[in-house]
Amino acid sequence: MTSLTFARALRIAVAAASVTATAVAALPAQELALPRQSGSVRFLVLGDAGTGDREQYEVANQMIRYGRVFPFTFAIMLGDNIYGSERPQDFEKKFTRPYKVLLDADVEFHAALGNHDDPNQRYFKPFHLDGSRYRTFKKGNVRFFVIDSNYLDPAQVKWLEKELSASGSDWKIAYFHHPLYTTARRGPEVELRAVLEPLFVKHGVDVVFTGHEHIYERLQPQKGIYHFTVGGAAKLRKGDTRPGSLIAARFDRDRSFLLAEIAGDSLYFQTISRKGATVDKGVLVRREKR
Amino acid sequence: MLHTVDFRRWALVAAGGVLVAVAACTKEEAKPPADPTKQVFEDFAKRVDNYMKVRKPLADSVGELDPTRSQAEITARGVGLANALIAARAQAKPGDIFTPEVATILATLIKQEYSRRTEPVQETREDQQDELPDFVPQVNQVYPTTYPLATFPATLLPLLPPLPEQLEYRVVQHYLVLRDIEANVIVDVMPNAVPT
Repeated sequence: MTSLTFARALRIAVAAASVTATAVAALPAQELALPRQSGSVRFLVLGDAGTGDREQYEVANQMIRYGRVFPFTFAIMLGDNIYGSERPQDFEKKFTRPYKVLLDADVEFHAALGNHDDPNQRYFKPFHLDGSRYRTFKKGNVRFFVIDSNYLDPAQVKWLEKELSASGSDWKIAYFHHPLYTTARRGPEVELRAVLEPLFVKHGVDVVFTGHEHIYERLQPQKGIYHFTVGGAAKLRKGDTRPGSLIAARFDRDRSFLLAEIAGDSLYFQTISRKGATVDKGVLVRREKR
Repeated sequence: MLHTVDFRRWALVAAGGVLVAVAACTKEEAKPPADPTKQVFEDFAKRVDNYMKVRKPLADSVGELDPTRSQAEITARGVGLANALIAARAQAKPGDIFTPEVATILATLIKQEYSRRTEPVQETREDQQDELPDFVPQVNQVYPTTYPLATFPATLLPLLPPLPEQLEYRVVQHYLVLRDIEANVIVDVMPNAVPT
């Protein structure tokens, strides 16, 4: 979708969505730190979003605000997409309504499953899991691997190895719920790391996005892989990150989400708080080019 | 004389027979003893298979689920399948699938695996359980829909007997639970499976 049509679709959608229409203020273009290169792959990253609380809606409004100047065509959800009960009205309150403007603008949401998610979410079409707990899809020169970290059974590991080895994409991005590295209180999923990391290293995964911890962290590359924890799109564990050699950047004072743009061998990112402030930004270079 | 020759011939035949019998016995003894774990796991697989035979017509009756925009449709199918399974297995009781024999083996496997874990791994597992409110899982119970599903230890899964894709293992406190994923029904429970 071009910038013009996205912006138009957003205007129409905002006008139609009374829930968010009054809350979304215009964003000065200079606040955007992403280059918006022609033909780039642009996407939104959000984790642990499905509370249905006011904070989720406020974060969603910032996504819409930034979406006007940075048109993205899809979003990756890092799990805990729907907290608590999962009745039809919960999907309405915790997903469809807060992201209505984006959904109306044809933004695709590609979800991973979290520990608070019923695995039957894989049948919910707007989550693009196509009836499977794990899957892969491609956008431009980027291959995404959606992993179910709640239940990493041998069948899934076999599938992952096969898909990773078959992928000839320039960029390989894996995303799932539980972080392999984090400084947050609950700590990393070391068992998951023992199984996944050797595969990621062997097959050249470039970036890993996870949620679960309700904070934002960007870590120093681990075995050549960039790790982000983006688990604060609705919930927050204030003050839960720790300084140290593992950390490249962290934010745990408010909710947040991330915007990403991949152009050639560079991944540009900008992390934004619930109040619309930029809390981290930068550019990463793909491992083969480093 | 003739008698002596006959006797010698008989003695030779008899000796040959004894040798054959001894050889046969030795061959019998050389056979590896039947693997009791394998037998128990085969029995477990049969019981799982029997569950799947009960499940299949019920799943067919509520219909195959394709990805849909309607959460109501997904919920209705899950509830329909759960109700049908609970009714069809009204007599089901703990240990029907996790028999005492398989439970003993699984508990040993899990205990050994837990004892090999490093401290950070143990802490991770405790944290996973901490998120789960206290409840005692029961056979034919619908897994509480507002509770999270504790993440299953990734390095433990390959040690357990494989399951069809419709079923999964979960840990709830010290229980190992067999859960029907689409129906969200607890199929069997095994207490004292997991060290606490």
